[in-house]
Amino acid sequence: MLLWETLGTAWKALGASKLRTALTTLGMVIGVGAVVTMLAMGEGARAMVEGKIRSLGTNLLSVTPGAPARGPVRTGSVETLTWDDARAIAELREVARVSPESMGSAQVRYLAKNMTSGVVGATVPYLAVHSYDLTAGTAFSDNDLLARRRVAIIGANVARTLFGNLSPVGERIQIKGMSFKVLGVLEEKGNEGFSSPDDQILVPLSTHQAALFGRDYLSSIALQVASEEATSRVQTEIKRLLRLRHRLGASAEDDFDVRSQQEMLQVMGQVIGIFTALLGSVAAVSLLVGGIGIMNIMLVSVGERTREIGLRMAVGARRRNILLQFLVESVIVSVAGGLVGLGLGAVGAAGVASVAGWPMVVPVYAVVLALATSFGVGLVFGVSPARRAARLDPVEALLHE
Amino acid sequence: METVDSNALSAQHLVKIYNPDRPELAVRAVDDVSFTVERGESVAIVGPSGGGKSTLMYMLGCLSRPTSGSYLIDGRDVARLSDDALAEVRNRHIGFVFQAANLLPRRTAVENVMLPLAYAGARGARERALEALERVGLAQRAAHRPNELSGGQLQRVAIARALVTRPSLLLCDEPTGALDSRTGREILDLLEALNREGTTLLMVTHDAAVARRMRRALRIGDGRLEADGPTEEVLDGAPARASDAGGG
Repeated sequence: MLLWETLGTAWKALGASKLRTALTTLGMVIGVGAVVTMLAMGEGARAMVEGKIRSLGTNLLSVTPGAPARGPVRTGSVETLTWDDARAIAELREVARVSPESMGSAQVRYLAKNMTSGVVGATVPYLAVHSYDLTAGTAFSDNDLLARRRVAIIGANVARTLFGNLSPVGERIQIKGMSFKVLGVLEEKGNEGFSSPDDQILVPLSTHQAALFGRDYLSSIALQVASEEATSRVQTEIKRLLRLRHRLGASAEDDFDVRSQQEMLQVMGQVIGIFTALLGSVAAVSLLVGGIGIMNIMLVSVGERTREIGLRMAVGARRRNILLQFLVESVIVSVAGGLVGLGLGAVGAAGVASVAGWPMVVPVYAVVLALATSFGVGLVFGVSPARRAARLDPVEALLHE
Repeated sequence: METVDSNALSAQHLVKIYNPDRPELAVRAVDDVSFTVERGESVAIVGPSGGGKSTLMYMLGCLSRPTSGSYLIDGRDVARLSDDALAEVRNRHIGFVFQAANLLPRRTAVENVMLPLAYAGARGARERALEALERVGLAQRAAHRPNELSGGQLQRVAIARALVTRPSLLLCDEPTGALDSRTGREILDLLEALNREGTTLLMVTHDAAVARRMRRALRIGDGRLEADGPTEEVLDGAPARASDAGGG
């Protein structure tokens, strides 16, 4: 009875100035939309990372130069790992494959087309360790490495950019002005987080070091352990071996870091979590702004409807009836904005997901959070105007012009 | 308690002081006013503008509390009631008719009349609202909105809204002030008819012709009760005051 009267009044009051109501709602639409998009982005990225952990397996280790860092930021020297370190690691028991790698970046050209691409110095086990396949041509051989031949395997995007629909195999491309013969093309992997093999070019590690970049240290050593349960044993063995090889005293810190692939992906997951929380809280600020907008309009509404409030009091409305009336109105505006924002956020998340190539996930907690937050914002920012209305003196309200 | 029960309302030494905490700004708007009204009476409250008529009416209507004195309506002392209890007294015991109809603009006539019943939590509100509209002769306009009704019709809807909770006391503040004389007479006819059916009628007016439709009159000037008696005697007994009342 009273509920219907309250809802009816709210409906008429909000419908009386549709543009104003819509603009008031907009603050919540944008706020909730932004928060939902941010949370969905974070969840999408996380889902992708988890998918990778599952597909990679847990028997991969990665050795990187420099002291182990707690977070994603690496400190210390980065010129400590050598090819000889990799050869020594390969001698250890329970190590199946070792892939020493050196990263560089160079201008690449084919006829009139050119691009900047990551150039990776690799050895024969590279493809097997990373479980990459070729769609065309062949991989390079030990002979190519021994002879420092100028041959290359190119990523799918590189092939598309330089060659379009033509077959790259057997063609010659220019890397840093030197001519390389294309042996094969990598299959397309899609986005793998921070870098994608699709955008890279593989060359023999010997050629990479001697001809292209003139350095003899490595960016990383990736290796496959014979079995999953051997992983931590091998991790310890590598540490012992490298400390010995690098002549580190008992008190010296490691100048390298050995991590399992899983640990690295967990670190990435943490980074994603931090970014999600950060972006989410920035977006949450707009909720605050939306709430202030609602409060502002509700104060205006209380002022405009002072006589109506006086009349309602005269015919028997209690103070809490008036309070509830205005609270209901602000909560309706806020929750309506939250619902529209939820839809908009889902659309935004779908858009980002399709661009970034990760699964579209709108987590249940984000939906609950968005609705609860918009309800809460309506309540919190509606209280002050509603109290102002409820505390009006009936006589003054009735005489208000 | 027998005597209290036969009275619709009883005011004893009513005082209303605005700004009582700041002596330099304090205004004694109503000063020691005492009277009783029996059930079924019709009483005009007359007097010059600024004399305290409206302040007295707001206290009688339970819209504000007296600074001192006691005010009993249907035997209950209003001065000691909480805000919620005052709201309930206004809802169940008092009907207001103001100079302006004060209808909610986007609601139909019947919805406006239903408003007090919503706060009373009553069942069958629409049927009772339609009955009230029928009583003021507007049943066929129930679905019209205020902007589709004439001034007299608006005031009839306001009267129906005042009647719908079947209050014992109808408080009218210049109910014909915004109407032409013919429509005003029709509204007064309606109020008189309601009074004959048993509703106590209190009417604040500065119009002597309107006041003469009531059987009894109270004259308020400078916050004091100057005269109380049959309307003819109050209005004609002091010619200077009567012309004041007539001229507004």
